[in-house]
Amino acid sequence: MERIYVHPLPVRIWHWTNAVGFVAMILTGLQIRYVGLFDVVSFRMAVSVHNWVGFVLIANFFLWLLYYLFSDRIKVYHPELSPRKHFINSFRQMQYYGYGIFKGDPNPFHVSIYRKFNPLQSMLYQIIMLLLVPIQFYTGILLWDLKGFSAQVDFFGGVRVIDTVHVLIFIFFIAYILIHSYLGALGHTPSAHYKAMLTGYEEVEEEAAAAEPEPEPAGEVRAT
Amino acid sequence: MDKYSIRRKTPRALPPVGLVIAAVCAALALLTAPQPIAAEEELSAEDRQCLGCHGFAGMDKTLEDGDTLALHVPGEAFARSVHSVFGCAGCHADIDAAAHPPSNKDIKSARDYAVSANAACHGCHGEMFEQWDKGIHAALVRAGNRQAPLCSDCHSPHAVIREAAAQPEQTPCKGCHGEIFTAYLGSMHAAALRSSAESYAPICSGCHSAHDVRPTVLGEGPKAACSGCHAGALEAHRTWLPNAALHFEAVSCPACHSPGAERQVDLLLVDGEDRAISSEQIGVPLLAAAARSDGKGLDALTLWTLLQTFNREGLGGKTVLRGRLEVRTGAQAHQLAGKSQALGDCQTCHSAGSEPFQSVTISLAGPTGQRVRVGADADVLSSVISLDSVSGFYAIGGTRIKFLDILLLAAVFVGLAVPVGHMTMGWIFRRYFLAPAQTGKGGGEQR
Repeated sequence: MERIYVHPLPVRIWHWTNAVGFVAMILTGLQIRYVGLFDVVSFRMAVSVHNWVGFVLIANFFLWLLYYLFSDRIKVYHPELSPRKHFINSFRQMQYYGYGIFKGDPNPFHVSIYRKFNPLQSMLYQIIMLLLVPIQFYTGILLWDLKGFSAQVDFFGGVRVIDTVHVLIFIFFIAYILIHSYLGALGHTPSAHYKAMLTGYEEVEEEAAAAEPEPEPAGEVRAT
Repeated sequence: MDKYSIRRKTPRALPPVGLVIAAVCAALALLTAPQPIAAEEELSAEDRQCLGCHGFAGMDKTLEDGDTLALHVPGEAFARSVHSVFGCAGCHADIDAAAHPPSNKDIKSARDYAVSANAACHGCHGEMFEQWDKGIHAALVRAGNRQAPLCSDCHSPHAVIREAAAQPEQTPCKGCHGEIFTAYLGSMHAAALRSSAESYAPICSGCHSAHDVRPTVLGEGPKAACSGCHAGALEAHRTWLPNAALHFEAVSCPACHSPGAERQVDLLLVDGEDRAISSEQIGVPLLAAAARSDGKGLDALTLWTLLQTFNREGLGGKTVLRGRLEVRTGAQAHQLAGKSQALGDCQTCHSAGSEPFQSVTISLAGPTGQRVRVGADADVLSSVISLDSVSGFYAIGGTRIKFLDILLLAAVFVGLAVPVGHMTMGWIFRRYFLAPAQTGKGGGEQR
């Protein structure tokens, strides 16, 4: 196994802050929306925690954004510009998760420093990070001070529309976190990706690593 | 023919009847009337002459409709009133003493006479009169409401004294708004007023204005009155209430400060451009739709359809619904309790099935400015169809959209079913299809 440094420290800090924060947001969100059904803390406390954690996550988002904007690691988010190639690779990846993985087929995607997302992840994470998360933060801020942002709330159709968008994305993230946590356990060992997200190093087959030349290491740390 | 009576019927007069009756009255005044008391002596000779007839208790006139118009003026009370300095002619300038009483003065009803006499107040009390004239009471008078108050209904014209109507015991509003006044008497405002003569706690006019009485459908009037005395209320609420300014806009003060009251959501139809109250164009279809609901109230689809109709191109501005949480009756709005008893538990409104959201009305301003309400199904607050039509009112938790609850359950199911299903598939493959050497794994999710 070769160890590749694919998760730099800022990304790991962002990721785990996000993970804890999103879980807190989901739990307090459930408490706020279903008060009476979930009464772990008071409604007022849940609102307060939801607001504060929300602002932490917004700051955390900008940590992620600034890091990638000012780092060559942004290449991991570069989209595949050939739709045909993207479709074929996505299909292979789906075929692997839906069938090949059970037979013990090799993963068609090989991790490298600048290509750490498989085609499905690449597409999904761009939607999440550049669309859903900003919308969620924006609608959350509007809901935090509906009166102060009343002009924008009215522009988008009123508080009910804003809240519905916020809740729809919240519902998506509930399913996402459950599935994401499971897929994270599908490494070569169940804990391999979790460890990698803590240490920064992914373990890859040496043959696979050798077969995928890196575009530009650009001073990245490699370890064996 | 007019029928006058001074305890006894006056015989049918011979021409000229006015002179005969005047002479009789003068004779009676001289011979039988009680001697004027000290206060009355300060009146002018002309006024005393009027009181010569009108000072007799029981002087009245039977009108065409069979009603009786009281013509008696209590002399002493008039002499002590603020109007005494102007004399009778100050208001009754239309009376020709030489031809009084007229041989024939058709007055259909006491109400008609009072309405026509009301204009006399404008001469001296122009500002107050114009305030009244713009208010709901005058609008009701113009609409033919026979109970709507004229100047003389609150201010006894012949016995008016300064500030009389401002005394709680004298408050004339209770004449028509008795139930509300009784509720007010049990409020902390009335208690404060009773406990100290120095108290500035309001009576009716303190919040509703004495003359510029506007319909509460306008919404901001009573709230502005609360803020007039409780200027720091918003800041005080901000210390514990999230989105306090929004709560102030969407929740009426009594909804929390009348803890025993029943609450409801009122969805007021307003013009989206200038927030004016909608009425004329949409009143008819709204009421017609309400009538078709057989008393069940408008459902979400009907409400949505109505709003689509109102907002069709060519019908002017956009009509929207502005939601407000209020108490159900005027009386409940006035039984305000001290702040220690006010509702402060978020769960009262922010949980599913909360009492305030079980009753919903749609309202608009009627022709006189009064609120016209029709009932609506409580589901209009939680239906996905209302996403557009009731876009401006939403209480997190309390009026949550049920369809989203179904989606949430589906998301949780998918979130659990995918891992469980995937693991099950893996187990089936390992158990039935693969040799032990083939069960390796090869990489999954990257973050």
